[in-house]
This record gives sequence, C-alpha cells and structure tokens, in this order.
Amino acid sequence: MLKVKNLHASVGDKEILKGLNIEVKAGEVHAVMGPNGSGKSTLSAVLAGRDEYEVTAGEVDYLGKELLELNPEERSWEGVFLAFQYPVEIPGVSNINFLKTAINERRKYFEQDPIAAKDFLKMVKEKSALVELSDKLKNRSVNVGFSGGEKKRNEIFQMAMLEPKLSILDETDSGLDIDALRIVAHGVNTLKSKDNATIVITHYQRLLDYIIPDFVHVLYDGRIIKTGGKELALELEEKGYDWLTKEEA
Amino acid sequence: MVVMKENNLLSSLSQMGVGLGAKNQAFELLKGLEFPTRKTEDWRYTSVKKILKKKYVQFNEAEKVGLSNEIVPSLDAYNVVLVNGVYSKELSDLNFPDEIVLDTFPKALEEHVSLIHSTFNGIAKNNEEVFTALNTSYFHEGVFIHIPKKVKLEKSIHVIHVNTKCNVVSNVRLLIVADEFSEVGVVQSFASVNAMECLTNSVTEVFVKENAKVVIDKVQSEEPKNNLICTVQVNQKANSTFKINTATVSGDFVRNGVNIEVDGENCTSEMNGLYMQKGIQHVDNHTKIGHLKPNCTSFELYKGVLSDKSTGVFNGKVIVAVDAQKIEAYQQNKNILLSREATMNAKPELEIFADDVKCSHGTTTGQFDDEAIFYLQTRGISKESAKKLLIEAFADEVIDKVDSEELRIWIKEKLD
Ligand SMILES: Nc1ncnc2c1ncn2[C@@H]1O[C@H](COP(=O)(O)OP(=O)(O)OP(=O)(O)O)[C@@H](O)[C@H]1O
Ligand SMILES: [Mg+2]
Repeated sequence: MLKVKNLHASVGDKEILKGLNIEVKAGEVHAVMGPNGSGKSTLSAVLAGRDEYEVTAGEVDYLGKELLELNPEERSWEGVFLAFQYPVEIPGVSNINFLKTAINERRKYFEQDPIAAKDFLKMVKEKSALVELSDKLKNRSVNVGFSGGEKKRNEIFQMAMLEPKLSILDETDSGLDIDALRIVAHGVNTLKSKDNATIVITHYQRLLDYIIPDFVHVLYDGRIIKTGGKELALELEEKGYDWLTKEEA
Repeated sequence: MVVMKENNLLSSLSQMGVGLGAKNQAFELLKGLEFPTRKTEDWRYTSVKKILKKKYVQFNEAEKVGLSNEIVPSLDAYNVVLVNGVYSKELSDLNFPDEIVLDTFPKALEEHVSLIHSTFNGIAKNNEEVFTALNTSYFHEGVFIHIPKKVKLEKSIHVIHVNTKCNVVSNVRLLIVADEFSEVGVVQSFASVNAMECLTNSVTEVFVKENAKVVIDKVQSEEPKNNLICTVQVNQKANSTFKINTATVSGDFVRNGVNIEVDGENCTSEMNGLYMQKGIQHVDNHTKIGHLKPNCTSFELYKGVLSDKSTGVFNGKVIVAVDAQKIEAYQQNKNILLSREATMNAKPELEIFADDVKCSHGTTTGQFDDEAIFYLQTRGISKESAKKLLIEAFADEVIDKVDSEELRIWIKEKLD
C-alpha cells in the first residue's frame, strides 16, 4: 500500500528526515517509536502533504500513485488520514458542518452526488457512538474548548467518518486517561480491516497492548534504525533507546 | 480666516430644494472650513484628493430602475427609494402605518415643521466635519422618520439609495426621531446599477429618546468604482438602546463615521461592522462613543477581510466623562489580510476621565491560519473551500449581530 524510499525532508536549511524507508501493506498495523525530536511528526506531516517541509530526495508510492505529487486534499480523497499530535482549533467552523463539506468534496472527486442529509446523520450517530463523543462536542467549533483527550477522540471520530485506507495516528494516545485510551483503541480496532492499514506513532508500549502492531520501527535522527515485531516495543520500554542509538553512532 | 478653496466637487454642487435656515447657516460655516488632508488627524490614512478632483452631476428627477435582490436586499420592510439622490415615488411604498411619520424632506417640512425645527441639524457636527457641513448646505432631499411614543414598529423601514448614472453626486439626509418607549429598525442600503465615479454623501441624525430602541443596519454594496461617505450622529437619552451594524461589501472609497452621545443613564449602545474590500478599494470606519452619564454599557465589534491591494482603517474612540461612573465599554477590531499587499491601519483611542469604569479594547490583524487550512485539507477540503470556510467563520461572529435573518443571509452570500 505504502512504500517510502530514501525519504529526505527539510525545513529551511535543517534536514529532518535523512533517508527514511518504510513499507506498509494492506491489513497491517505499524508502530513507529523514537525519542523526542527524531522526526516522527515530520514523517506524518510529509505523508499528509504539509508544504512547510521540503522533500529533497526520495519517493513515496501509495497504491501505485506518486503520493508526493498530490496535494493534501487529494491525498485525503485517496484515503490517507492523519490524526494530529496537536489537533488544530478552528473557531466558528462547526465540527459537523466541516465534516459534511469534507465528505461531499470527496464524493465530488469521485463524481458522486452529495450525501443525503439522512445518511449523513445516521453516519454521525453511528461513528460518534464508537468513540463516545457527546452531541455537545459534535456541534461545537472544531476542537475549540475541547480538553486534550476530547480532541484526540474527535480525531478518531473524524477518521471513522472519512473511512480512510491509510491512517497515521500521531501520538493519539498521549494525554489520554485509561478509559479514553481504551475507547480510542476500540475505535481504531473496529475500523481495522484487511483492506486498510494503520501507522501508530507512540511513546508508550501500553497503547500497543490495545492496538497490536505487526511491526515496530524505531525512528532516530530522521531514519528508521531498527524494525522488529511487537516484542521490540517491550524491549524499548525496558531499555530505552540508548542501546540502539549507541550502536548507530 | 481660511476661505475654502474651490474644487471640482464644490463647483458641481448647487443649492436647491428644501428651504431651511439651517442650510444657509451651514453654507456660511462651510466657507470657513477646509477639506481634510493627510495632516488632518482624523483623515490620516484616508485621502479625499481623488474625490475632490472629480466632476459630478447633480440630479433632480428620479430615474427608473429595476431593483433585484442581487443589487439591494429584498426585505419584508417599508421601502423608501432614492435614485441618484432623488425620491422615487414609483419605487417606494406609499402605505405606512398611520401612527408613524415617514416622509421625504421638502414635504415633511410642510406638515411637521416644529418637530423638524427642534431636531434637524441639532446634533450634526457641521463645524467639525466638512462633509457634514457640505451635506447640510446642499442636501435637497431626504427622509424623515418619526416614531411617536410607545409605537413599536414590527417591520423595518428600508431606505434605499441607488445610483444609476455615472458621476452622480448626492447629499442625502436622514432624520430619525424615536420618541419615548418606541421601537424602530431602519435598514439603509447604498447600491448602484451601472454607475461609476459617483459620490454619495449621507448624513443621518438619530434621536433616541428615553426608553426607546433604534436599530440601524447599513448595507453598503456600491459598485467597485463608487464613493461613499456616511456619517451617523446619534443622541441617546436614559434607558435607551441603540445599535448600528455596518456591512461594507464593496465600494472604491467608503468612509463611515458613527458618533454616539450617550446622554442618559442605563443605556446600551452597540456598534458592529464588517468590511470586505477587494482590488484597490479603501474603507475607513471612524467611530466615537461619548459616555456622558453613568451606568451605561457599550459594545463594539468591527471585523475586516481585505484582499488584493485594498486598504482599511479603523479608528474607535471611547470617551468617558468625569462623572460617568460604572461605564462598561468593550471594543474589538479584528482583520484578516488575504494578500501581502493589503493593509490595515487600526487605532483604538480611549479617553477615560472617570475612575470606576470597565473598558477593554483590542485589535488584531493577521493572515490566514495556515495550520487550520492544512488541517481542513487533510480532511479532504480543498484549499479554496478551506479559505472560504475560515472567512465565513470569521465573518459570522459579526454577521450574527444583525437581527434580521434575511439580511444575514444576504450579507453571507456577498462574502463569496
Ligand atoms: N517547522 C519546523 N521548523 C523548524 N524545525 C522543525 C519544524 N518541524 C520540526 N522541526 C524540528 O525537527 C525535529 C523533528 O521534529 P518532529 O516534530 O518531527 O519530532 P517528533 O519525533 O515528532 O518529536 P515528539 O516525540 O516530541 O513529538 C525537531 O528537532 C524539531 O524541532
Ligand atoms: Mg511528534
């Protein structure tokens, strides 16, 4: 589904991704771990199409398409979803209305008619139940006045509404209490199928108790320096990153 | 003594119509005034050079014109239409509720002479504002609205100014007297049809008596090449409510002056504005609220969206007199610049002489929030639509201050 080859990306003169490789197949869950500032969010932003980051080398194949050639909305229409580490607050834009606009723009891209109001409402009801998002939050301005945990739940609600093929969850677990973590993980697991894939960026092994990864990658200084199975997460939890980064140096 | 320099604007004008002593007085006063230059404090960022240089034509007969909802909002209201500054009987509604007075100026004088004499020109600042003095000297038609005691008008009165010819100059005048415990809403629309290089100089005086409520919605949708100067002078007595919303959708040069004297206790005053200039258009909102008596509240919210090379000015003055204790005055001005070449000059001015007051003011001018746009894009909303959503969200806060839903919808449609 996704093949990232030798990806280099910078902001200004600063190179952040320094030759990153990763391959994700349909049906798989990949965990990406790594110390602060190693480039995890940069990787997700580059995959989602943030133009602040300049890709200086490498290629990304997504379902046979050159992903880097597409603008962010086209990537979304093609099924890429990014749950933000820091979801953005947008005063005055209602959570529900913007999702309706989003769904209809995608339908237009695929030359489909706008979604019927009834179907949309049914979908909202179903998907918000999945992450236990209250009506109050659904109708408010996007993320405005949401608590940290509510923002993360709202990200998964949006993911559920948009039914992506490739979801990238950037630290969706940080700031969640145990119950919220379970709810979010339940949401992600319910949406999982043999046709879609998930990249979970996290610092904590505990999330991986709920969302079981097929692969665990360690991202360090802009590169994947180690890949293993889910037991690698346990090892990292125990030993930290030192033993790997020393090897690297 | 300074003697006013001749210019093309002045030589285009001739006195006609209404015979009122006030006109001659203003005319004498005008001779001693000067048009503002960049050195005039209140006009620092707004040059009138271009306006004075043009040659204009003054009309005295109303043209025929079709008014669609595209041009001026079609509202469920009593319509009074002035075409090129001249009252059009044909386009105006002729049936009004008996209890109110709604008349054009020369005619109103015949029947309501004493009321007009005791109010007209009573609060207009002829000696300070040259365009007001110009209006008083040269206006030849206008509208007089009198709402007697306890009358609450359910439908609004819609005064429509429309230009249909090029180079039209008109000095239009509105006088609104709302007696004790009365209520009225007045919509004032400024529009044009195939007209260019016009100058409309409008002066409105509003008397809000004790316990009365007046709401004015000004809708300015002049075609891009037209010029508009609008001065609204308000006097509020005790326990009264006054609100004015100004939506500037278009217009080459638009200057709005709103000046409220709150001359009674327990009053509420509200001023809101939305401006969305494009091209090389210029908009200037100067507001002034003078709290002369204690225990009053005023709210002010002006928001602007400036594209291309357009320019905007906001100047909001709040004055609280020595004995006017327990005043709450809130003012905000927020702007989005859609291009690097658009500019905004914003200046709040507070002159507080009382000590027990609550005042706040703030002004922000910024670009689009790129993070928000990217966020929306990642959800499948195109960049274009994302910008539209953000502009709508920004403008909604102030559009929501307009009470009439049909007018809110009309303004929203003009946002695109
Ligand atoms: N827009 C930017 N401008 C300048 N530097 C940036 C920018 N974005 C990221 N960086 C830098 O790139 C490096 C990687 O940042 P990134 O956010 O990708 O790290 P991360 O792995 O997600 O860290 P964390 O675990 O703290 O979320 C950091 O040193 C960061 O300061
Ligand atoms: Mg990060």
